[in-house]
Amino acid sequence: MKENIEKRVVGLFFLMLVILVGVAWLAANTIRKSTDKSAWVNQTHEVILGANSAASLLHAGDASMSAYLLTGDRRDQENYRTAYRAMASQLVVSVDTTKLNPYHKDFLSLTNLIGQHINFTRSLVQAREQGGEDAARQLALSHPDGSSTADIDLLVRQINEHQDNVLKQRDAEAVIQAKETTRVIYAGVVVNFALLLFASVLIRDDVKSRRIAATAMAEANAQLEAKVQERTAELVKSNQSLKKENLERRWSYQALDHQFRYNQLIVNAISEMVFVISKALNVSRVNPSVTHVTEWEAQDLISQSIERVLQIPADGPANPILTALNEGRELQERPAAVVTKSGASLPVRFNLVPLRDDNKVVGGVVTVRPWMGPPPKPAGPAASGPH
Amino acid sequence: MKKHILSVDDEQDIRELLQESLSMRGFRVSTAANPEEARKIAKADRPDLIILDFQIEESDGFVLIDEFKKLYPTIPLMLLTGAVFGKGAVREVIEKKVSSYLDKTASLSQIVDEIHRLIGDPEAEATKK
Repeated sequence: MKENIEKRVVGLFFLMLVILVGVAWLAANTIRKSTDKSAWVNQTHEVILGANSAASLLHAGDASMSAYLLTGDRRDQENYRTAYRAMASQLVVSVDTTKLNPYHKDFLSLTNLIGQHINFTRSLVQAREQGGEDAARQLALSHPDGSSTADIDLLVRQINEHQDNVLKQRDAEAVIQAKETTRVIYAGVVVNFALLLFASVLIRDDVKSRRIAATAMAEANAQLEAKVQERTAELVKSNQSLKKENLERRWSYQALDHQFRYNQLIVNAISEMVFVISKALNVSRVNPSVTHVTEWEAQDLISQSIERVLQIPADGPANPILTALNEGRELQERPAAVVTKSGASLPVRFNLVPLRDDNKVVGGVVTVRPWMGPPPKPAGPAASGPH
Repeated sequence: MKKHILSVDDEQDIRELLQESLSMRGFRVSTAANPEEARKIAKADRPDLIILDFQIEESDGFVLIDEFKKLYPTIPLMLLTGAVFGKGAVREVIEKKVSSYLDKTASLSQIVDEIHRLIGDPEAEATKK
């Protein structure tokens, strides 16, 4: 859409340029023609002036010659000769100037007529010089058409009229051409103005649509920016939350680990032997005191029955620890003997505390301390628990 | 100006976790691994709250509590320890010595809540502004 408008605008401006160039060419051509015509008019005026001048000089020469014929005064003779020479020069110039013009022949005719007139005046002058004033008068009377001045004047008038007509015709043509040129220039200006108006409308529409598009884009960008910010804020919040959660977990783990190590330290610090057992009497954990007293390594005892190292005097069909765990009760200060790895039997007293998980007995903690009193009775059948 | 908390604990993990967590919540946190370091920091940059562990190398929490209470009577002290004291006389004695007592088994959010109670919540204050 935008590309089409741009193409149209460029096309319109190109068209305007073509019209402007056309109008300028037409104007320049008209000016050139006017200049040419001006030269022609000047020449025409020169022709008219040349013809009139020649006629005037002829008449002036004739007047001086007439005076000379009457008086024989040499000054008059000099005057008519000067006038005729000037006339001859003017005729030569006019004939030469009109050489390429259609009315050149008129000047040739004029030259011919004037030539005849000059010849006749020469003969009058000769008659005056040879026969005196009367001879010249007789010759003039005998040749009433000899001077042909009237023909010359007529021809000069004809030339003038003819040139005037041509000038008028050219003037009329110039007026028509000027009008046409004016019309063309006005038409070009109007068309250019219309095209400019159309281009303005196109540009205005394009600018308007671009502005609307820019506004829409700005709004879309603002919305997008807001969404991005909103989403970023959510992500930051979520990230913070995750960080806090992660820290909380690490803290919990650290606290548990710390607590475990602390408890372990406490348990390990106890000089009494500590056995953690399952409900089936298997050992799951011992403290260093056990390994120290029994000489067994912890791995030798883990998952083995506590009866391997702790022998309890029989006082019933079942091991009293098993019975106490099943019944969920404690045992206090019970006599027993610890059998070491080397086979030695040490008299001890032990306590049992059941371990509960959700009020359900899952095992027990047996603490054993050396007994300095009399040894317990030998272990009965109940002592031979699972190994 | 962010409120300054001094955390004294011989365990590096605990120090780092507390620093990270409390910094996230708008506090400025300094840490010390031993009493000497703690004394230097407290002297150079007076804290708004001192968090102490009970078990500290070269000393114990009680000694440091008494010392800090004497030097900075207006600064609240929080005892944060892994040496769990059960409900009873010992805990009562400790709670009288410090402004607040928490086990390390307490969650971080509980610890932070307790800090907010003692010296305020920077995030909430920023929201009010």
